[in-house]
Amino acid sequence: MSTLRLTQNNRHASPARPALSIANFRDSRPGVFIGGAVVVGALTIALLNLLLTILTSNAVYELSAIQKEKKELTTTTQILSEEVDSLSSQQNLANAAAKLGMISNANPVFLRLSDQKVFGKPKAALNADGRVARNLVPNSALVQQSNAAELIAAEDATLTKASTPIATGLTGATTSQTALAAGVVKAVSATTPVVSSGAAIPASPTH
Amino acid sequence: MAYLTPGDPKSRGKWVMILVAGLCVAFSIRLVDYQVIQADAINKTSYENRAVTRTLPALRGEILDSTGAVLARTVYRYDINAAPSKVFPVSRKVNGQSVMIPVEQIANEIATILGLTQADVMTKISGTGEYSQIKKRVDAESYRKIRSLNVPWLYYDPIPDRLYPNGAVAGNIIGYLNNEGQAVEGIETSFNSCLAGVDGQESFEKGVDGIKIPSSTVTTQKAVNGRAVHLTINADLQYFAQQVLTSEVSRLRADWAVATVIEVKTGRILAAAEAPSVDPNEPGKVGIDDRGARIFRFMFEPGSTLKAITGATAIDQGKATSTTRTIAPFGWVVPGTTYRVTDSHQHGDDKLTLAGVLRDSSNTGIMKIGQAVDYRTRYTYLKKFGLGQKTNAGYPGEEAGLLNNVNDWDGIKKYVSMFGQGVSVTPIQSAMMYQAIANKGIRLSPILVEGCEDANGNLQRTEVKPGVRVISEATAHSTMDMLEKVVEQGGIGKTAAVPGYRVGGKTGTAQIAKGSSGYSGRYAVSFIGAAPAEDPQFVVAVTVYKPRTVSNSIGATPSFKRIMQQLLRTYRVPPSTTVSANIPTEWK
Repeated sequence: MSTLRLTQNNRHASPARPALSIANFRDSRPGVFIGGAVVVGALTIALLNLLLTILTSNAVYELSAIQKEKKELTTTTQILSEEVDSLSSQQNLANAAAKLGMISNANPVFLRLSDQKVFGKPKAALNADGRVARNLVPNSALVQQSNAAELIAAEDATLTKASTPIATGLTGATTSQTALAAGVVKAVSATTPVVSSGAAIPASPTH
Repeated sequence: MAYLTPGDPKSRGKWVMILVAGLCVAFSIRLVDYQVIQADAINKTSYENRAVTRTLPALRGEILDSTGAVLARTVYRYDINAAPSKVFPVSRKVNGQSVMIPVEQIANEIATILGLTQADVMTKISGTGEYSQIKKRVDAESYRKIRSLNVPWLYYDPIPDRLYPNGAVAGNIIGYLNNEGQAVEGIETSFNSCLAGVDGQESFEKGVDGIKIPSSTVTTQKAVNGRAVHLTINADLQYFAQQVLTSEVSRLRADWAVATVIEVKTGRILAAAEAPSVDPNEPGKVGIDDRGARIFRFMFEPGSTLKAITGATAIDQGKATSTTRTIAPFGWVVPGTTYRVTDSHQHGDDKLTLAGVLRDSSNTGIMKIGQAVDYRTRYTYLKKFGLGQKTNAGYPGEEAGLLNNVNDWDGIKKYVSMFGQGVSVTPIQSAMMYQAIANKGIRLSPILVEGCEDANGNLQRTEVKPGVRVISEATAHSTMDMLEKVVEQGGIGKTAAVPGYRVGGKTGTAQIAKGSSGYSGRYAVSFIGAAPAEDPQFVVAVTVYKPRTVSNSIGATPSFKRIMQQLLRTYRVPPSTTVSANIPTEWK
């Protein structure tokens, strides 16, 4: 109603005024357009901000979970390192060797390949000094020790495994000389070669 | 419209506007109060509620042996704590159903993992407090087991702790930390600047759920981890030497024993073994004297091992050769005094060469040959051999030994110093004297620490002083020839022989000084030698202190032999292919 009245009043007040056009209407209300754009823009920014905040929050929880997993893995690494440290300590190795009946031989013998000369007098390793045969050096960090029964079982398993191809080779040898030769060659090539470096005595491939 | 809205619309609108304006003013006042007047206080309280500041611990560097084996590393231990006020039964899913586990059962589970009793745990979690420590420094495996119980009223503090995986192997050298994590002994102390890192610090804000608020972390200081120190010690060899010494200390009922192994051509210390020795994981289990390295700190009169130095001095000065003849009586009065020096065993007038004097370790013989060299010159040689000076190998609290100013030498000292009395040395000094002889007359500085890694993991080698020529190469060669005769022919020396190898060495049975004057009835027995004599690679110096079952070097030679044997085998030194020089030890 008011609008109609206003329009009528305007018509009476200024009859000579040119007719309204769309362009003129726009020119007369530039603020509406700008205001609308600002509102839409603000809403868009707010929405984007909300979206980013949600995404960031999710990422933070994900990051937190990953950090927790990292912490767990670090703890696992530490547990395993301590286990390895303990098992590879001199004290554990000495105890394990003693349990397996191993005795250090005090009479090293060296063979010089260049002239096939033997240095030292080979003697059987004897348990002549029981005091050094067992571990005497304390280690309170020795939390994990080798199990002698497991070691012996592992040794037996290795021996059984190793003896199988040898037996096969021998069976072949009884039937044919060629087969024996082939078996020997195969066995030799399977071992680590000992390389001579002139007059120097080569290091043993075993440790 | 009018009948639906009683009263004056204009007036009503005015009142509404006034009300809205009033509310706006009130809100504005409150807003200004919060945003301006109280802003700082509110921000502070709010930040304090959200903010967390924590230390970022720096990990201490590792100590490694010459093969890279870890001798010391830092691990995390965990303090297991509880909040007694929040202790209540714990809900668990059993067969898909929620079951409340009573506190007593939880306490029993905790006790089983931590090696405590249920009663212990119950005592610690009872009460109304917010904090109670159940167990300190629990290992990672137990910590994980405890955490898997999912008990909400337990919480954990990770504490960096030092672990020495090989226990007492080289414990005397490595040192240890105190309960506060500060280095108090050994390499841990002297290389603390390399090993210790710098703790960092970070601040962040957390939400109600304890999770960090995004972008709130402010690292005020980044943690810098410590760097690794590489030793020259071979841990396997060190272990072997400690085994041998421990066995011998027990057999001889001695106070202690030490063995030093030196690589002749580099001066690197491959083993610095002692028995007893400290396990740095539990330093309190041994007495304070056994927690450090006697090799660098204990001073004693070297005794007869110094005769080789007197002989080398006489040869180097052109006053004698290995075949110089003398008549060595049982007793001999020091010229200008009434002090009579005797040999350790009864004998007549022995006709010995200088080589024979060393073989028989004759006090009278060495004085009669050694007196040809002016005592001031001999003093100079002792200094050149390293007496009276620290070796600066890198061990803290090292002693310099005792070599009094030559101007203070009295008539007796001028003579008894020739067979190792009136001066004192540390075991490392003794070993380095023989290193000089074995290294063609050049004394090197002993090296205990190969170096410290830099931030990129590259090894920064320890600065090593250049070697010092002490005697000529010919003198060194001649002295080694004489030392071989000690092992080939000497009554005790023979027990140091290593089959297949040429070995040169010298016995030493030193009286132990008692206070400022006189000697106690016990001895420090030593044997120092090098092998293979034709091209010495290693020096091994063994000293056994106050053995009860023997009173001469027979207490030291078995250890020397075993360690040298192991050394030659470990480093794959082929047996000797030549024979020793043909030097007469006696004459007619």
